[in-house]
This record gives sequence, structure tokens and C-alpha cells, in this order.
Amino acid sequence: MAVVAAGALVLAGCTSESETPDTGNAGTTDEGGSTDEATTSEDGGASEEPTSSAKADLGEVTTKDDTISFSTGAEEYNAYNGNTSSTNSTYNAVVNNQLFGGFWYWGTDGTVYPNEWFGSYEKTSEDPLTVEYTISDEAVWSDGTPVTSNDFLLEWASSNPEALGGAEALGFDPVSDTFGKYVPEAPETEPSSKTFTVVYPDPYPDWELVVSGALPSHVAADSAGMTGDELAQAILDGDGETVAKVSEFWNTGWLFPDYQVTDEALVPSSGPYTLQGSTWESGESLGLVPNDSFYGPKPATKNLVFKFAAPESHVQALQNGDINVIEPQATVDTVDQLKGMSDTVSIASGNEMTWEHLDYNFAEGSIFSEGEGGLAAREAFALCVPREQIVQNLIQPINPEAQVMNLREKFPFQDDYQEVLEAAYDGRYDQVDLEAAKAKFAEAGLEDGAEVRIGYSAPNQRRTDEIAAIKASCDEVGFNIVDGGDPKFFESGGSLETGDWEIALFAWAGSGQIASGQPIYETDGGQNFGGFSNEEVDAAWETLAKSNDPAVHLEQVKIIEKLLWDNLYGIPLFAHPGVVGYDNTLQNVRHNSTQTGVSWNAEQWVRAN
Amino acid sequence: MLQFVLRRIAISLVVLLMGSALMFFATINAGDPLADLRESRAENREQLMQARIENMNLDLPWYQRYLTWLAGASKCLVLACDLGQASNGANINSMLVNAAGASLRLVSISVVLAIVIGIALGVLTAIRQYSGFDYTVTFAAFLFFSLPVFWAAVLLKDFGAIRFNNWIADPALSTTAMAVIALVFALLVASVLGGDIRRQAVTFLVTAAVVFGVVFAFDSVGWWRKPALGLPLIILGGLLALGFFLTMTVGLSQRKITIAGLVTVAVGIVAYFVTAPIMVDPANWWVILALIAVTVVVSGAIGWFLGGFERKTAAYVTIGTGLGFAFLVFMDRLLRNWGAFLEIKPRPISTIGSGIPEFEGTFWAEIFDWGVQLILPTIVLTVISIAGYSRYTRASMLETINQDYIRTARSKGLSDRVVYTKHALRNALIPITTIVAFDFAALLGGAVITESIFGWKGLGAMFRDGLNKVDPGPVMGYYLVAGGAAVLMNMLADIAYAFLDPRIRR
Repeated sequence: MAVVAAGALVLAGCTSESETPDTGNAGTTDEGGSTDEATTSEDGGASEEPTSSAKADLGEVTTKDDTISFSTGAEEYNAYNGNTSSTNSTYNAVVNNQLFGGFWYWGTDGTVYPNEWFGSYEKTSEDPLTVEYTISDEAVWSDGTPVTSNDFLLEWASSNPEALGGAEALGFDPVSDTFGKYVPEAPETEPSSKTFTVVYPDPYPDWELVVSGALPSHVAADSAGMTGDELAQAILDGDGETVAKVSEFWNTGWLFPDYQVTDEALVPSSGPYTLQGSTWESGESLGLVPNDSFYGPKPATKNLVFKFAAPESHVQALQNGDINVIEPQATVDTVDQLKGMSDTVSIASGNEMTWEHLDYNFAEGSIFSEGEGGLAAREAFALCVPREQIVQNLIQPINPEAQVMNLREKFPFQDDYQEVLEAAYDGRYDQVDLEAAKAKFAEAGLEDGAEVRIGYSAPNQRRTDEIAAIKASCDEVGFNIVDGGDPKFFESGGSLETGDWEIALFAWAGSGQIASGQPIYETDGGQNFGGFSNEEVDAAWETLAKSNDPAVHLEQVKIIEKLLWDNLYGIPLFAHPGVVGYDNTLQNVRHNSTQTGVSWNAEQWVRAN
Repeated sequence: MLQFVLRRIAISLVVLLMGSALMFFATINAGDPLADLRESRAENREQLMQARIENMNLDLPWYQRYLTWLAGASKCLVLACDLGQASNGANINSMLVNAAGASLRLVSISVVLAIVIGIALGVLTAIRQYSGFDYTVTFAAFLFFSLPVFWAAVLLKDFGAIRFNNWIADPALSTTAMAVIALVFALLVASVLGGDIRRQAVTFLVTAAVVFGVVFAFDSVGWWRKPALGLPLIILGGLLALGFFLTMTVGLSQRKITIAGLVTVAVGIVAYFVTAPIMVDPANWWVILALIAVTVVVSGAIGWFLGGFERKTAAYVTIGTGLGFAFLVFMDRLLRNWGAFLEIKPRPISTIGSGIPEFEGTFWAEIFDWGVQLILPTIVLTVISIAGYSRYTRASMLETINQDYIRTARSKGLSDRVVYTKHALRNALIPITTIVAFDFAALLGGAVITESIFGWKGLGAMFRDGLNKVDPGPVMGYYLVAGGAAVLMNMLADIAYAFLDPRIRR
């Protein structure tokens, strides 16, 4: 006991009360308070859940002095110009989305919405398709230079249009040459104008996606000793030689090979946030700060930090508050983990615009080809695939609202899905019907134990599970389902190419484009791996691609979908589930189905008080 | 000796050179550096390939690629490295500086800790061979040695970061928790100190009571959020340090040296008050270093002048005591700022990263910001290396203890203390030097998993990425540091060996 007493004496002076003012308690109350508020805002948030797929209108925003962090993965941001072929990646895009204003953005369901604060655009003529763009008078780069047609002229020039001499003469290294290909003549405008007009000689259904944001042409021009106007004039004059002077800078000057911003003057912002050299901790995180001269709605939170953390560390980091928003791989395990942290973490789940499907092989030697089992064999297989069961067992645990997908060009969460569905599909493969399947099997003249190799890119547990479910059902009909998982399925020389499969199981990532499905379904299309061929389908795609009219698009999609069901190109299964986990004190965090991901509205994220 | 060292250096360089060639050829033959582009559907595929071919010199034959690299790397000898560029054009020099910096920060503390704790445990288990303590440490060593790092790291994040942060927001210990802590400590101390059953029982009871009392006191005064040592604990610690150094050198019987030590502690108390204004917020580390230098000089002088005829030993003892005291004063200040740090960062330990970006605060807060992020990875790395060290030391120590000369020393009537510290330990440490050297180099490059789980971009990540992309640039950069460290440390070990054991100097 004496020892304890002596110990007490020794310990008498052992707290640091004297030096730190007693704010510890205040801190504690503070935290308690915020927890309460979080609960309230959760409830409130649920009731005012935005119904539109567009960004919510937050009204007048005052930027809150706070920090919110987000991570897409361990890959580090490395380019201000994310449009070159080597820098076009998600991890550059998530940051650059906050640095550049543009005419439009993707809503949560893949709808294109205009950004009114940046400018507006209008179709002024149908034939030839002519679009007039007007940039807001207030739109400026953070260095004070106005955003003008100069920037969009460079955008056009950087896609190596033939009018300026093409890729050989210009030397730009863009990821996509769409702009220059479909718009052969330079946009009609004056240097430093706030309006420009784009003319498409041929119909192009996805015209809306061609022009969005632009890089600062005055910075590129400056690198070659020109002014922005001189560069713009050279582009308008078709002077490829002068324009070529900036291509080297365009390709390499806006990259960060050392993972630091050496000259902030080279990387101005036209979006809500801007880059600041000192907030980049190489290998760890990049902080964005508000763009002081931003002309649109102010960002809700002052510091937006992108952390470069490996995906396997995300869930714990979210729980500990090191990362506030994560978009992990949507698996049942992750969702369970996130649910286990429901006192501090909220989940937003939804569908991705990536959809899983089973495609038949029409090549010679496959039992589904016209020469062998033909349509009847395909119908037999379609009748035995337990689609409902697959969705219930594998997808609904992640996204409770998931449903079987019955179309290819429209997603169940899109407005016109129902309309197209009614026209194209009567529900005949909704339920497994083994009797009907057996009848079709016999009709096709197949022998019992006909081998069906379902190829996919292994390892992929979910697909392995899907095939197990299919095998359990379809083997009863007489098929012999073989799991054809192969790590090299998609690689050159892999089984997809060599044709060693009867069914291919994989997913297409929807781009939101209208005509992008053409190479998948037309005869000899580049992505038509199974070799499907149908003249009516070809014709319908042709009509669709040759029109700029949404009504025509819808009409043709109905025809195409119906033909693809009737002839059984393949069987759509489901849209991939997506999940977002976020600190439940945050507001306005919403899942987005498109490839932009959850950070599509990062400038609206804010912590409740 | 000089000839020996020069020969070692020459051999080391040849080893490095041959290793680099092997590494280079192994890397460039590990796959196709253009594989991802060959499958690419990008329209400008050719351009991309061309850019990569230029970045990586793929158009040159293999020996020219290697020689190009070697020419650049050999400029390191005149401190002007040119390690070329990675496949995406990134500068490898700056990549390497960043990565090596992160790796060094991550592993250096754990190396020191592992050596100190591992050797101490090894010695103790050897002395208390076949005791409960020995068995416990052996069990723990094998357990830790076989721990999967990724699993241990994830668990540690859950308990050490997430739950600790939850707890520190409103820290309170239940009586049960206090009792468990007290019992564990008491068991540990009783089994280490050993003795007969009665003595062990007394040690157990006393330790349990003390620890329980301390934890109870800490808990009731809110120590967890507002900790400090306070002068009484510092004095106690200073006296313990004095006792330790006396035991390690001359024993408690030398009165003059003991008095010199006590004077050092007394001067330390005065210095505690004198330096207080400086220590509230020191400008930078130089101030601390200067204070350390002053401590060494003053306490050394005390020992020298009061130590009597054994002044040199006395000076060692007083310097040790002085440094121990100074360390406690430093820790006291650091702890006092914990509360302030908690204000800035309410959840102090993050699961990833190396601290708050752009952190600005007092000297102490910056140490915390920098230091707390090291705790978890350091624990993982330390625990794994401790296992090896403690086993090696134990074996080596046991072998030494059973030597004839130890028996002679005992039969001369020397105390256990003198036999173990003066005769056994030094000789037992010789083989450990080799292991330490190897281990440092291995840790530097081998913390790949730890780095990735805790979100550090170190050498391991650089090596892995390079290998995945069949890109020799980063891989060779990694090799230069890790291989260089291995060769260098090995050479140092060889030299130290030769220094300790004249027989191998040939």
C-alpha cells in the first residue's frame, strides 16, 4: 500500500493541465453535437432526396472552411491535360473535372445537362447540323484571361483535323479525334469571341458530347511566343505550320512527371477549384483550393483533397475519417463492412452504366450457329438461364433495387426504358421454363450433353457464381455447361479471339453515346465478337446513325431491341451495382452511374454543421 | 586494417556491378513493356508506342540499354546521378529521392527499436532460460514471425487507429481493464526478475499494486488527453537511469560515482526550470541538439571531476544519467502538447498517409503530426524483426554463457551482473552485427506490403510498379538504394567484425 501511496505522490504533478487551456472538454461536446446533427441531417437528407438526376440547386453557397477528402485509388494525378492519349484516365479526370468548366455534364442516370453558368448551346440548323455555342460573358480563367472561342479553336485543332494537315503535320497526341473528324472545318468565329458555331456536314447523333470544356489556349500560345489571338487566327486561317508549334507543349507541357506543380501560371482553372503547388504531397494527396475568380456557383467546401490510397485501405480509412468519400468495388463483403459502420458512415448504392450479358457465338462449329442448333438452340438456352435468381442472389444484396435488365441500349434507371421495353420484349424469357426449353432443345436437334463453354475473363467470383447458377438450371435441359473462365480471355490470342466459346459472359461499359452500339451489333462490326449478322438490324443502325433527331433514335432503338430479342443476339442480365460510402455528416454525396463517378458533384459536398 | 577496408570496398563495388547487370537483364526479360499498348484500341497506338520506345530506349540492343543506364548511374560516384526516365517519362532521380525518403522514415525507427528490444529480450530469455518468461517470449516470437503482414496491419488499423481514436475522444478505463493491465505487467515483471517462488510472488503483488495505482491515477486525472510526466516522475526516471548505468558498469558500491550521478540528477532538476522557457516552443531541432550537447558536456564534467580515480567510468555514468534525464524532460514537454494536438486533429491516428498535408503548428505539434503516423507501421515492422533478433541473441547468448571462460569467471566469484554484462554480452553480440546489417537493408526494400497498406509510396512500391511495367528504370533505382544499402551495411559489419575479432583480419 505504501508503494501505491508513494506512486500517487510521484504522479501528483503528471498532467498537463497547466499548459493546455482546458478546451479538451469543449472539443468533446463539439463532437457530441455534430453526431446529433448528423443524425438529423440524415433524416432530413432522406426526405429531401433529389428526384432529378441533375445536380441539386443549392442556391447561394458560402464556401465552408473545411476539408473533405476523396480517393479513387493509389494512382497519382499526373496531368492537367487529361486529353492526351497517355493521360486520359480516371485519376486525372476526377481532379480535372473540378478545374475546367464545360457546357454540360452527365447526370446520375447518364442524362446530359447543360451547365448554365458556363454558357449555352443551341442547334440552329438540322441540315447540315449546326450548333451555336455561347460562352458566358463572366467566364474567365483564374489568371484573368476570359474563356473565349480561342480555347475551343485549340480544342478543335488538337484533334488533328485534316484541314490543318492532320496528325502528321500537327503532331498533337489526343485520346480522341472525334471533333476534328466530324467537324472538318474550323468552328466559325472570330479570335477572342464569346460565341462560335460548329457545323457537321454529316449527321452525327452524339454531337452534343463533342464540345464540352477546353484547355487554356493562351498558355499554349504563350509557350510558342504567340498571343492567344494569333494562335486562334492561325487555326481559322488553316495555318497548320503555326499551329504545330504548340503541339509539343500541348502534349507534354501540361504534365507533371515529377508529381508537383512547378509553375502555377501554366495551369489556370476555369472551374470551381484550382491547383496549388504547395498542397501536393507527392505520393500521398493533392489538395484543391477554391478558384477565387470563379464565376459559377461557389464550391461548398474550401479544401477538396484527393488521396492516393490503395483501394484495399479505403474502408478502414473511411471509418477512421481519413477519407470521407469512397467508391469501393461493389461486393457483398464491402457492403456488409460499410453497413457495420452505420453509426458514422452512410451508403449510397445504385446502378453503374456497365451491364453484364451473355452473348452467343454464331461462328461455325458453335451449337448456336445457324448451321447447327440455330435459333431454337438459342431459345432453349435463353429459357433456362435463371436471370431472376442471379440478380436476386448476387446483385440485390449490394443494390436492393437491382432488377433484371431486359434491354441493351437503355438502362432500367433511364426514363425511356419502359417505353422501349414495351415495344421490344414481351417477357418470354423472364421465367425459367425447363419444359419449353427441352422442347426447343429437341427442335434444334441437339444431342444430350451438348457442350456450352461460357467464356469470361477469370478470376471473377461473381461470374463464376453466375455460371454455377446457369449450370444448375441448363444442365437439366440437356446442355453441358462448362466454366470457360480464362485470365487471357480478352487478350490478343485469347479464347475470345480464337473462338473457343459458345457463350461469352462479359460487360459493356455504357458511354452514354447514342450510336456507340453500332459496331457491336452490325454485321462484321469491330466489337461484334460472336459474328451476329442481320440485315434489318444493320439497316436500323444505319438509319439511327444517320439522324440527329431523338425521335428517330428512339424509334430505331425499339426496332433494334426487338430484332435482337427475336433473333437472340445475346441475353442481357443486369446493370452492375455501384456503391458509395461516405461520412454521414456530409451532404450532397450522390452516386452517379456514369464513368464520372461519385465526384461528379464534389464541389457541392459539404459537412453539416 | 586500411588494406582490409580497401579490399572490402573494391569487392563490394564488383558485387554491386555484377548484381546490377543481373537485375537489369532479369527485369527487361520479365515481359513485354509494350503489352498494354498492343491490346490498346487507341487510334494513335503507334505514336504511344514510339513515345514509350524513346523513353525506355527500347530501340537499342540490350547491352546498349544497360550501358546507357550504367553510364548515368556511375555518375552517382561524383554525386550527379542520372538514372534516366521511367516508361511514362517521369524523372527517376526525383522518384527515387521521394521514395527513399519515405522508406527511410518508415523503417529507421523500427530498425532501432527492433534491435534494442530484440536484443534485450534475447538476453533476458537466455538468462532466464526455461522460465515462464522464456516460453512466453519464444511463443510470441514464433507467432509474430509467422504473422501475415497484411492481416496484422489491417487488425492494427482497426484497434490502433479506429478504436483508439474512438476511445481517445472520451477516454475512460473500466476497473476490469485496469486490473488486466496490472496483472499482465505484474506477470511480466515477476517472471523477468525471477528468483524463488516467494520472491516472485512478492514482485508480482507489488508490481500489480503499483501499476493498478498508476493506471487508476492516470484515469482519474484525465491523463489520456492531458498527459505529462511532471517533475516527480522525471526525478524517479533519472534515478532509475542512474541505477541502470551503475549496474551496467561498476555496481552500486562505488560511492564517489554514485554521488556524481546524484549530483547530475540535481543539476538536471535545476536545468529543468532554467530551460523551461526555451522548451515551451523550441525554434527547431538545432536548439534541441544544442541542449543535448550542453547536457553531455555538463554531466560529463560532473563525472570527470567528482568521479575520483575512476573518472572515465564516472563520466560515462553521469553522461548516461544526464541524457536519460534530458530525454524524460523532452518527453514531458512532448506529452504536455498532446492535448493541443488533439484539438487540431481530434482523431489523431490516421490509417493511411504520413500526416496532415501542409501541417503548421508548434514544434511539438509537428512532432506529433509526423510521429503518430509512424506508430502503426513501425509496430508492424518492429514486431516482425524483433522475433528474429530475440531468437538469434538468445541462442548466441546461451552459447556464450556455456563457454569455459564464463565458468572461470563465475568460479573466480564474480557476480552474475559482471559475468553477464562484461563477459558474456559483448561476445554474444558479435554474430548479431551481421544480422543487423542484413536486416536493415532487407527492411528498406522489403516493406512493400506495409507501405502499400499504410498508404506510403516508398521504394517497395517503386520496385513493384517498375517490375509490373517491365520498366528497368525504377527497378534499378530501387536496386541502387537497396543493393547499395545491403552491400554497405555488410561491409560495415565486416569491418566491425574485423575490429571486434582480430582473428579474421587477414
